[in-house]
Amino acid sequence: MTWSSRLTVRVLLALLAFAVLARLPAGLDIGFQFDAELAVVWGFGILSLVLLTGYVGQVSLCQATFAGVGAYAAGMMVSTYHVSYLIAVAVAVLAAFALGVVVGLPALRLSGITLAIVTLGIALVFDRYVFQDAAFAWFTGGSGGWRVDGARMFGVQMDSSKHLLAAYVLLVGLFCLVALLMVNLHDSGAGRRFRAIRDSELAASTMGVNLTRYKLLAFGMSAAIAGLGGSFYPLVAGSVSPQPFWLFTSLQLAAIAVLMGVRYVPAAALGGVFMAFVPDVLTRFGHGNVGRYSYDISFDWFQIAVGVLLIIQLILMPDGVWGDLRGRIAHAAAHAKSAARAVAKGRVRVA
Amino acid sequence: MLRVRDVTVRFGGIVALDGVSLDLNRGEILGLIGPNGAGKTTLFNCISGVIRPDQGSMFFEGRSLKFAPPHERARRGIARTFQNLQLWGSMTVQENLTVPMDALGGRNTFSDALHLPFSTYAERASSERARAILHVLELDDYARTLAGDLPAGIQRRVEIARALAGRPQLLLLDEPAAGLDARETGHLAELLHTVRERFHVSMLLVDHDMSLVLPVSDYVYVLDFGKVLAKGRPSAIQNDPKVIAAYLGDESSKESNKSRDVVAMPRRKDEAPLLEVKQLAAGYGHLEVIRDVNLAVRPGEVVACIGANGAGKTTTLRAISGMIRPRSGTVTFDGRDITGKTAEHISRQGLIHIPEGRGLFPNLSVEDTLRLVSNSIGKEPDLATAYRLFPKLKERRHQAVGTLSGGEQQMVALARAVLARPQLVMVDEMSQGLAPTVVRQLFDIIRMMRDEGIAVLIVEQFVDSALEVADRAYVFEHGTIGHSGSAAELRADRKLISGSYLGSAVDVVAASNGNGHHADPALMEVVSVKLPAKLKRTLEERAEREGRPTGAVVMELLEGVKRV
Amino acid sequence: MATFAAYTIIGLSVGGVYALAALGIVLIYRTTGVLNFAHGAMGMFSTFVAWQIFYGMAHPYWPQWLATAIAIIAGLVFAALLGLFLDLAVFRWVRTRPPVVKAVITIGILLTLQATASLIWKNNQYHLSIYVLPKDWVANIADVPVGANSIAIIVVALGLAFGLAAYLRYTAFGRSMRAVSDSPTAASLWAVPVGRVSAVSWMLGSLIAAVAGILITPFINFDTTSLTLLIVDALAAALIGGMVSLPLTVLGGFILGLLETYPTIWIQSLGFPRLVALVVILAVLIVRNPRGLTAVSR
Repeated sequence: MTWSSRLTVRVLLALLAFAVLARLPAGLDIGFQFDAELAVVWGFGILSLVLLTGYVGQVSLCQATFAGVGAYAAGMMVSTYHVSYLIAVAVAVLAAFALGVVVGLPALRLSGITLAIVTLGIALVFDRYVFQDAAFAWFTGGSGGWRVDGARMFGVQMDSSKHLLAAYVLLVGLFCLVALLMVNLHDSGAGRRFRAIRDSELAASTMGVNLTRYKLLAFGMSAAIAGLGGSFYPLVAGSVSPQPFWLFTSLQLAAIAVLMGVRYVPAAALGGVFMAFVPDVLTRFGHGNVGRYSYDISFDWFQIAVGVLLIIQLILMPDGVWGDLRGRIAHAAAHAKSAARAVAKGRVRVA
Repeated sequence: MLRVRDVTVRFGGIVALDGVSLDLNRGEILGLIGPNGAGKTTLFNCISGVIRPDQGSMFFEGRSLKFAPPHERARRGIARTFQNLQLWGSMTVQENLTVPMDALGGRNTFSDALHLPFSTYAERASSERARAILHVLELDDYARTLAGDLPAGIQRRVEIARALAGRPQLLLLDEPAAGLDARETGHLAELLHTVRERFHVSMLLVDHDMSLVLPVSDYVYVLDFGKVLAKGRPSAIQNDPKVIAAYLGDESSKESNKSRDVVAMPRRKDEAPLLEVKQLAAGYGHLEVIRDVNLAVRPGEVVACIGANGAGKTTTLRAISGMIRPRSGTVTFDGRDITGKTAEHISRQGLIHIPEGRGLFPNLSVEDTLRLVSNSIGKEPDLATAYRLFPKLKERRHQAVGTLSGGEQQMVALARAVLARPQLVMVDEMSQGLAPTVVRQLFDIIRMMRDEGIAVLIVEQFVDSALEVADRAYVFEHGTIGHSGSAAELRADRKLISGSYLGSAVDVVAASNGNGHHADPALMEVVSVKLPAKLKRTLEERAEREGRPTGAVVMELLEGVKRV
Repeated sequence: MATFAAYTIIGLSVGGVYALAALGIVLIYRTTGVLNFAHGAMGMFSTFVAWQIFYGMAHPYWPQWLATAIAIIAGLVFAALLGLFLDLAVFRWVRTRPPVVKAVITIGILLTLQATASLIWKNNQYHLSIYVLPKDWVANIADVPVGANSIAIIVVALGLAFGLAAYLRYTAFGRSMRAVSDSPTAASLWAVPVGRVSAVSWMLGSLIAAVAGILITPFINFDTTSLTLLIVDALAAALIGGMVSLPLTVLGGFILGLLETYPTIWIQSLGFPRLVALVVILAVLIVRNPRGLTAVSR
């Protein structure tokens, strides 16, 4: 497949995905529609990890923090400066990017676990301090957070309950676009440089890749993606509070990203859906009666499942659900091809 | 082109490089050889910018390399390959090549992501150039294969191709023949010549395999203990007594120890072997390092394994002791099958392995380490015995093992071997990095162990000492056993031994005649400031011989030409 | 200056908490090479088990001190079993994996333990009435009332630190543990029972986490999350101690406690101390890595 034809296929796939996903929640009730939007928000979070950890190999346990910064920045822009929501989103993304670059600075010297600890520390600082302290009330809107009832986009008043579907379509569209860009990035020159850093930093630097530039870029872009998703949160939920963006969410994002396959973009979509829908589904349908026993599957069961699955998966399948699936298909195809070639050549090579 | 002056690198207490100076001229292939631990890779790391030297300076094309990070040095034209293969395994071979091309050609991330026309054009140009390079190195078939899936020999070539992709002026090759067999190594030697011709690149080559380095290099430096031991043309180096001593062991001690053999106790040749290895094959990941290895050790025997580095001696020992799992073959010890068992289990059976690097615990004190023997024998060991044999250890018994000198560390390892009362001890490169006097002491310990009835299997770089103490020996070559026989037989066959280590002089001469880079000063017609490398060397040597500055020799020659 | 002394005392009490929390982390890291993010969660779970037993034994039928003792012992037994289970079920299989993978596995353990605890005990705030020493024993040091339990924390932290350090140094098994942490491959060549050592390391680590949990919870919110989140401060303290020396770790805890308390003399802020902790972590880590990016080790 040539380069441009592969690109065309990808664009078509993205459009198709958009068309399908946009229509999907139409028939669902409002609760699930809310979940669908949330799924995309978290999908962005996992996508950011696909870039940072999957493509570049840098560990980060504070992605939800970046999303939170995006959310608060957007909320602040709308409530304090009364700008159109799109401008608020743009500002939020820039803010997240800047923070990402700052967080990336320690990454120049550290890697692996020590980097994980630093990002953990950052997440906690934001949790306890930046998102909660009075000193940052200008940013966070105080203890109540921002309310974005008056948000305007394209001149139309966006009210979370009335225009839920419209907001969703916009979100899904953006997600498909960013996903497309990321898949293209993966195969491009810059993407190769990122992957070179992941596979062997040593070789990358001695082969001319400027580690500083690319690592900081990776952190910035990753934070921006998470921030993009987060910036829509106020629109979806109507208000911003620190709770959705706390440390445990970052850990969950990391866990689900690894579970689904941190190197693959579709894993992000899967993960987002997983994170948003499963808890709600459990809450709604997760209790009832079987015979004499009543059962109640709550959110905690979800988290337990995530934890256990993560452990099992790391022990057995380091590539994630999607990655493993993809690998098996590729392997089977390769075997078939080489078998066919051997038969065609009429001889077998001695090992 | 490259000037290294007085570079010194220290890691904690160890001096890896000690005032090393080196010159490389444009168009040359410079060889760098030396025993294990001599500092070769450290020097590479300094030149490519991975490590900063503690002292000294380096100049490339007249510019200082100080403060230049690795990617900047790549930009200036220095590229390298790695001893332990640092390919980007998740990318195809072609992608591996395009990364340095792009990185050094300046590409824009955003235009890449959006697939702007500029990016697409640049992509096509890169992939074409990549394919051209792959063609020269005969890697066309592998262009689209994932680098991680390739066999080791091909991977090595890919590393070279990748290093060439950035259009370097200087190529640093770190052990490119490691893990290759004889055929592949010969192929590699030809390849390096082709590379120099086609890509106009100078090379600095490090390897253990003399059959690669000596024929290929124009000039050779020998490193030992972090210092430059000798430098000169390959043929000169081969016959240099200092080099031979460093590689083959101390010649002078041969005479005095000859008499010992006569007193040796006769061994019963027909006794059943204590250790029997049949058709052993093993390796790491994709690399298959040893195949079809057969050897045996009888009780109370001392058997030596000798051969060049990378020949498979260490891997064999590891496969026997359980450090790595054998791929096929069997290992029988004391009548029991121990193939594939855990190292703990095998160790408790009475087969002790002292690995390369001694297998000690840097943060434990000497006494604590020796006390660990209780795990092998089930009770507290009698430390007094150990201290009687190694009085030096008694002095230092509370010192952390990591801070001891190499010789003392080896004593700790051997002391443990004595205390654990095993049936067989395998020692890997006991004399590595040690002074000859210390080595002699250690070999006496081996003899003593033999007298106590403990069988010993030693792997050694120092052929002479090894053959003195051993009853029999196996010669490893390229992953399997080439020759074997009693120590006496092998000792007599000197040519065999130096041949397999340093390559024969005949080979070197034959190869250099085929180079095409003759230097005939008498025929010098063109006067230019930049002289061909070989020419420069010849003039330098002549100047040294005659005790005059090189310039004077050049002027004299020029006068001669003008008059004609 | 009386205020300063008072702040110092408070800082040391807080520091004692951190020190105790960090000890187990460093011990596990030293003996198994795993950075255990789930350490706080493990301690939390064991503490809840102890509390559950304590509550289950309705007083006044049982005398207070006996109930406390039995509850604590039950908690410790559970902790040991938890550690053993984790080693056998999880860590045994990933011994050769890179440290990052093992650390992410501990994140999975953290999530699982967290949610399980939440399932059993819900998200309520509890009041832990397990006091190792009677609540009303108070000493007056430099005009500051210091509870006996605070002093207990400091004493236990120091005692454990030196006790464990001595155990590692002078006993046969301690030697084996140190050998395994230096080099598991070499250790197996020395016939050291690596499997058994690993199991004991995890059991010991879990025990310390439980001890820390039981002693600390009177001073913080007793719910399923607070102790888990203490991990970050504990990590900071551990890093100051270099992740190697147990006594230094305790010192690191005290330093961190002081660093977090002193600024409150001037700035009244809840989250500011956290910022201090983060800056300290960063500074320590960067100072310790002077060779920078691709530092090559021989």
